[in-house]
Amino acid sequence: MAAVTLKNVVKRFGGFQIIHGADIDVNDGEFVVFVGPSGCGKSTLLRMIAGLEDISGGEIAIGGKVVNDVEPADRGIAMVFQSYALYPHMSVEQNLSFGLRMNGNPKADTERRVKRASEILRIAELMKRRPRQLSGGQRQRVAIGRAIVREPQVFLFDEPLSNLDAELRVQMRVEISRLHKELGVTMIYVTHDQTEAMTLADRIVVLNAGNIEQIGAPLDLYDDPANRFVAGFVGSPKMNFMAAKVVGNDDDAAVIELANHGGARLRKPLSGARPAVGADVVLGVRPEHFFEAGEGDCDIAVKADVAEHLGSVSYVYASAGTNVGAGPEELIIEREASRQRANGDHMVVSIKAGRSLLFDGTGARIR
Amino acid sequence: MRYQNATAYRFLAPYLLIFSIFWLWPIINSFLISFQATRTVPWRFAPTFNWGRLIGDPAFFNALKNTLLILVIQVPVMITLAIVMAVLLNSPLLKARGLYRFAFFAPVVVGEVAYSAVFRLLFNLDYGIINKLLNSVGLPRIDWFSNVTPAMAVIMIAVTWRWAGYNAIILLAGLQSIPQDVYEAATLDRVSKLKQFFYITLPLLKPIIVFCAVLSIIGTMQLFTEPFLITERGGPGGGTETLGLLLYRQGFRSLNFGYASAIAYTMAGLAIAISLVQLWLTRDPK
Repeated sequence: MAAVTLKNVVKRFGGFQIIHGADIDVNDGEFVVFVGPSGCGKSTLLRMIAGLEDISGGEIAIGGKVVNDVEPADRGIAMVFQSYALYPHMSVEQNLSFGLRMNGNPKADTERRVKRASEILRIAELMKRRPRQLSGGQRQRVAIGRAIVREPQVFLFDEPLSNLDAELRVQMRVEISRLHKELGVTMIYVTHDQTEAMTLADRIVVLNAGNIEQIGAPLDLYDDPANRFVAGFVGSPKMNFMAAKVVGNDDDAAVIELANHGGARLRKPLSGARPAVGADVVLGVRPEHFFEAGEGDCDIAVKADVAEHLGSVSYVYASAGTNVGAGPEELIIEREASRQRANGDHMVVSIKAGRSLLFDGTGARIR
Repeated sequence: MRYQNATAYRFLAPYLLIFSIFWLWPIINSFLISFQATRTVPWRFAPTFNWGRLIGDPAFFNALKNTLLILVIQVPVMITLAIVMAVLLNSPLLKARGLYRFAFFAPVVVGEVAYSAVFRLLFNLDYGIINKLLNSVGLPRIDWFSNVTPAMAVIMIAVTWRWAGYNAIILLAGLQSIPQDVYEAATLDRVSKLKQFFYITLPLLKPIIVFCAVLSIIGTMQLFTEPFLITERGGPGGGTETLGLLLYRQGFRSLNFGYASAIAYTMAGLAIAISLVQLWLTRDPK
């Protein structure tokens, strides 16, 4: 077990910088998820920790030891690849033991480790098969098993579930969670799927275009995002963003007028600096934070275009007004199933100041 | 449906006609001819005439021995060389990869007569560059074309030069189809580059290597140009005569088409048999 520390880590490919100074502290035994849209640099960051990519600047330490110039095999890590990267010409057993055998590990110890991994992952009956005779989920298990036999201090997962179907993904997610509890080792997990991040992580690192947007516990990111990017990325369906303008200011609040809702105004209490009157701002409201008319601080009228009924809840895809240079403002509104709306209806919903977030024109949070 | 098929066959008809006349019929006819005595007029049916001669003909066994000798030495050397070339071509450290790829492939494009003439000059006793190089390091000159062993060596070197790059390009395609992350996983497993080559690259490349080996076996069984042009019709004294050359000598010098056909079918049969043995030996254990 070991902590992993990244200090001002930079990655350049040629003249192109793709990681702009990452600072991350992963505690011993912690499950940390790097999440972000494709191309944000999260896999590159993981591969730099593994030693498969060089570090252009900064420092990576594992278990208190700087590993910038340490060979991948000597870093005490094991990695599970997105494509599993199993050796196709070897049986499951050979796949698990290959690394140990190549390094002259004592036979009895190799067998013990392989047996333990196969028991933890319940793949004992697959040991004689080749990878091509396995299903996607079984291959994934073998790939994890190959990491377990190394008895690493840190597990690295590079989008391990993205090749599995939805049902299997949920099942493997639970298994990886169970594995973390059972082994108690540090795990760093990369995914573009915010649901995976929310369900697995002790802490989440949200990355965007090579920058760390925020680090925090899943619910902290959900309730208190640092900026519009994190607010939009965490949570499903996405947070709604409504164009607005500051029309008034007082000691502890700003009054904003929603641009697409017939002059509807909301008094938003703030603790920090107040935005200037006339500034363009964005109001963020999660789908589940629209209330029945009159229950909140500000009512708005929208047209329900499509309703998706999922049983326990329904999502109403609604629209209102017209943003400059864009179509009507689209909103996703969560309703209890018993209060379903028919398509094309007009409906009035209510927003609460305490259940909404305010962002400035650059996307930074106004608190 | 029937009508559509008929249309398809009408479009295929010109090809099928030419294929039948110039491919299918000669294949069948040469088989029939191998059972005829063709040194008499008119030819007469004599099933044991050619085949009986074949199994007791020292010239045939000489040619067979030469062909198999080249096969056993040249093919493994060439395939090994081709694998090394392919691995080097695949190296991320290599600059100007396209140029090397072209250079390795180029010998196949060179005309057979031109390349044979160049090899005759290279190995010329008095002014060939090979003997000059041997002299310059204090070794005696070798009379390459007057002795059997050096003459065989020249043929093997020439064939290897011509076809190693071709096989390397095929193997390179195979190398590039091995996913990179398998090597990354091995690197994390502390498996050295050399062990990665023997335990990962070679086993995964095996189907392509077998494919190249079978192609080379078939090619070598038919070897003709090099002993015909470089060592002047299998010289010295039949020492480099191959089955292909013997076939030519019997068929087109002595006009003994029956015997030449029997040799041709023997060559084809041997190529198929050796290739099958090769496939069987390298099959995937189930």
